[in-house]
Amino acid sequence: MSGVSLKPRAALEARVDLSGLTPAVACATSLRELEHLAVPYGATSVPLGELFFIEGAPEGVLLIEIGDERLDGVGAGMAGGELIVDGRVGAWAGRGMSGGVLRISGDAGDFLGAEMSGGRIELAGNAGAHAGGASSGSRRGMSDGVLKIAGSAGERAGARQRGGLILIGGDAGAGLATGMIAGTISVAGSVGTLAGRGMKRGTLLVNALPELPAGFADTGTHDLVALRLLARRVPDLAATLKDVTQARRLVGDTLMGGQGEVLVV
Amino acid sequence: MILNGVEIRDTFAEAFPMVGTRLIVTADTPDWALTAGRVTTGFATSVIGCGCEAGIERVLAPQDTPDGRPGVSLLIFAMDFGSLKKVVPLRLGQCVLTCPTTACYAGVEGGKRVPLAKTIRYFADGHQISKKLAGKRFWRLPVMEGEFVCDEDTGSVEGVGGGNFLILARSRGQALHAAEQAVAAMGQVPGIILPFPGGVVRSGSKVGSKYKALFASTNDAYCPTLRGAVPSQLPPEVGSVMEIVIDGVSFEAVAEATRVGIEAVCAVGTEGGVVAIDAGNYGGNLGPFHFKLREIMSAGAGSAGGVA
Repeated sequence: MSGVSLKPRAALEARVDLSGLTPAVACATSLRELEHLAVPYGATSVPLGELFFIEGAPEGVLLIEIGDERLDGVGAGMAGGELIVDGRVGAWAGRGMSGGVLRISGDAGDFLGAEMSGGRIELAGNAGAHAGGASSGSRRGMSDGVLKIAGSAGERAGARQRGGLILIGGDAGAGLATGMIAGTISVAGSVGTLAGRGMKRGTLLVNALPELPAGFADTGTHDLVALRLLARRVPDLAATLKDVTQARRLVGDTLMGGQGEVLVV
Repeated sequence: MILNGVEIRDTFAEAFPMVGTRLIVTADTPDWALTAGRVTTGFATSVIGCGCEAGIERVLAPQDTPDGRPGVSLLIFAMDFGSLKKVVPLRLGQCVLTCPTTACYAGVEGGKRVPLAKTIRYFADGHQISKKLAGKRFWRLPVMEGEFVCDEDTGSVEGVGGGNFLILARSRGQALHAAEQAVAAMGQVPGIILPFPGGVVRSGSKVGSKYKALFASTNDAYCPTLRGAVPSQLPPEVGSVMEIVIDGVSFEAVAEATRVGIEAVCAVGTEGGVVAIDAGNYGGNLGPFHFKLREIMSAGAGSAGGVA
């Protein structure tokens, strides 16, 4: 067992679905077997070796040397190990992952980390719509783990999220945390319209008061001990909440009987 | 064995297994943290009457607490896990929740889980907020003062209860002074508490009583006013005896506290009126943990204050 590195032979001409190819699967399979592994490619399927040069890599690591926006489902379902993409990825990256680390140095398409239940995703670029959300027809989005987006997130990030932590270094698009059930989202940049609509519980940490739906009630500014605890217990929030003791707390979406909160720190 | 003129009697303290847990209580000021600690560990001297034995393990600086505020670390011990699960939420709900500015966190990671906010969160009547991050869940309970923050639960340890030693001195004042020196020194040992008032027991007990309803009664063999009237353990020059009882998270912690405490008493020495160090046991058949005084003191004799 060792690591695997994939390097595209040429630019992809159709979408490739890499969703069963987790680090655990790749590392447990011989390079020769991997070359013959059939992967969905456009409307057909082709052996992996036809699309990529397959080589060894450090133990437990699956490396995709040149990313492509047509690579879908990268790291989907992974439960451990490390998957590194040098470049961008398509939709459904890290979908339903339950453990391990997925690092992407470029942008990601829609549904990044959708319904993930553990592990950690670190995206250096921007994410498409529905980051950490629920897939179409699904009742629950991300339930645990950390989804860290250094850039901005598209529409409806954290939709129906029910746990875990989403960190957005840039701006968040419209409909952030729509129907959020629980969990935490921290946004360093601006927040689009209709954030928190239908929110049941959960926390949105923001720097400035966004334009919120009518169902949010302003409870005023409070000294919250929980902020000091979060700053120390959650390393990912340490910088955001350093020396923060007070927050303006808006509760909603009260029109839906929700008790979620937007904390302006 | 004689240390600085003080006789270390050839006997042992007999101790019992107990189940314990640690709570970290913080507050806006050190005073309020200490108030919460004292109240929460109040009426918890002996399991016989109080249901648990509890005390303040140590005072914590802001940088050592989960929320960066001043705090105290509390240890609570009970005879079995079932009792511990009952007494901890009761004390948490009545003494920490109610105390201004406090928050309460788990102080033990491993072991069986003792419920904290898991039980008392219902006080918030549906307005409680849960957060699970970095693998730990905590709760926020809206209260009149603001918000009470509390971890979901804490771990537990299989500890040792009832480690002890007796200080035999010429007078009450001298016995108390020696005991105070021991308590101060033992306060520096991690993982132990001295559950009795100020760490000292003036009414040590023996098992059984002439009265059927009582299963413990005054330790008459060490009562100076009964010397001569009953079989006594006290030489003529002893006028008062104080006991120090130790509960700890491990045998080693209690042994170390015993050593540190006796060392402090021996440093007071004969000039301070200390005559001898003894220990309470029941013949060795009741408790599985035996703290042999001479073994403990000879192991640490190199660092003893005054070795005669």
